[in-house]
Amino acid sequence: MTEPLRSTFDEELEAIKSGILIMSNMVVETIPKGTEALLEGNLTTAQEIIEADDELDALSVSLEDRCYQILTLQQPLAGDLRAVMGALWMNNEIERAGDLMTNIAKATRRIFPEKIPEVVSSLIQNMSNEAQRLLNLSSESYLQGDSGLAAALDDIDDRLDDLNVETVEAIFEKHNDKNLTLNVAVQLALICRYYERIGDHAVNIGERVRYIVDGWTAERTGAARLTDRQKNK
Amino acid sequence: MEPLTQPNEKTIATTRPKIFEVTNLNVYYPDFRAIRDVSLNVAANEITAFIGPSGCGKTTMLRSFNRMNDLIPTAKITGTLLYRGADLYNKTVDPVEVRRRIGMVFQKPNPFPKSIYDNVAYGPRISGKVKKGTEMDDLVESSLRKAALWEEVKDRLKSSALGMSGGQQQRLCIARAIATNPDVVLMDEPCSALDPIATGKIEELMTQLKKEYTILIVTHNMQQAARVSDRTAFFSVEVEEEHDSRTGVLVEEGPTEKIFSNPNDQRTENYITGRFG
Repeated sequence: MTEPLRSTFDEELEAIKSGILIMSNMVVETIPKGTEALLEGNLTTAQEIIEADDELDALSVSLEDRCYQILTLQQPLAGDLRAVMGALWMNNEIERAGDLMTNIAKATRRIFPEKIPEVVSSLIQNMSNEAQRLLNLSSESYLQGDSGLAAALDDIDDRLDDLNVETVEAIFEKHNDKNLTLNVAVQLALICRYYERIGDHAVNIGERVRYIVDGWTAERTGAARLTDRQKNK
Repeated sequence: MEPLTQPNEKTIATTRPKIFEVTNLNVYYPDFRAIRDVSLNVAANEITAFIGPSGCGKTTMLRSFNRMNDLIPTAKITGTLLYRGADLYNKTVDPVEVRRRIGMVFQKPNPFPKSIYDNVAYGPRISGKVKKGTEMDDLVESSLRKAALWEEVKDRLKSSALGMSGGQQQRLCIARAIATNPDVVLMDEPCSALDPIATGKIEELMTQLKKEYTILIVTHNMQQAARVSDRTAFFSVEVEEEHDSRTGVLVEEGPTEKIFSNPNDQRTENYITGRFG
């Protein structure tokens, strides 16, 4: 009863896991690079980031195909099924997070050559650090199968949400003081939203990790609320 | 003991009454214990699948439900097995009557070397409860219809059952089992000798039949268990060191969707993901 079977299948599952981690690391590394390009108005780096997103998309497509292949050929069940389904969802979350960095790179071009005020740029740097940290932690929870860490991401994300509010306020203060044009203020506010969304994707990845590890699904919380409301009517 | 109620009178269920209540069931053969301390409930009009590796006792368990183990003189059974609240192993219970109410379909189609008609009519004839002629004709037709076989055989009812395909033979065996108006149908790997199309027909048939009957099925095909059953019971083999013998245990039982997506026990996970054999 202890002889391990399905070693080829195990290798395929490992390959999928590696693929997800590689994609996630690509975005984790793009975040500081994109922020630097934004804050320094470096259009060459911004262009590199836009082009690098195609690589992420290509990886995402091939990983998705690989998941379909496993579903079709290996008919995974239980923990294996959750691993493949979870990877499919995470693939989507990471690809979207990558798109958001592309959005920031494109906004960098629109803002150029205007300078970003010091107070705003330092807040944006903080947001960037937080978004990077969250995505990194989500990867870590996936790598280690740590559902506790995965569940904590939602709370950890509160810091990024607060920073978002604070930064948007600072942006519009600067605009009111005539230190920022409306166009740049709007671009910067959108950029804040992009970082904040990266944090949300990290939280979603955490939810998928919990699904893979424990079979827990986020939707159940919402569905349970609905049932409660219907009961109380 | 209280009388066994007539099948299907009380099974039009909104609350799904319990058909079987098994408590600490042990089945011993002369030199080993085939299953140990199995406790399990089976509700009406549900399909319950028994899965597990060879030697885990799932077929012994299935055979316990219609006292087929009685046919092995040296087999001994302890614990209780209630059928609709009555002790199935009470000395006053007639095993033949039990097997009429709790029919069985075997791994290999085993039609009698008789005509298609006579195969289906065999059980009702023995019981003497159905008259020859129109009444029997109607019963044969309705049984064959329920087994999704009528259209294929209605023009050759008098020809030999042995001339049918394997899949047809198996559906004939199902028709034969339901012709005696049973309450429960036990199926021991009913599709293992059939091709995917014949298997699909039997599976479709099972989901039709559960409206009227309670079905328990032993299968080695996990996808089949996942496709057809409402609940799944996973059995495993444990080696008893001191006696150097193997015994079957029920590891866990639950809704099929749960067992196949997120089982509670690591042994179930290992088995259904094919990690350990």
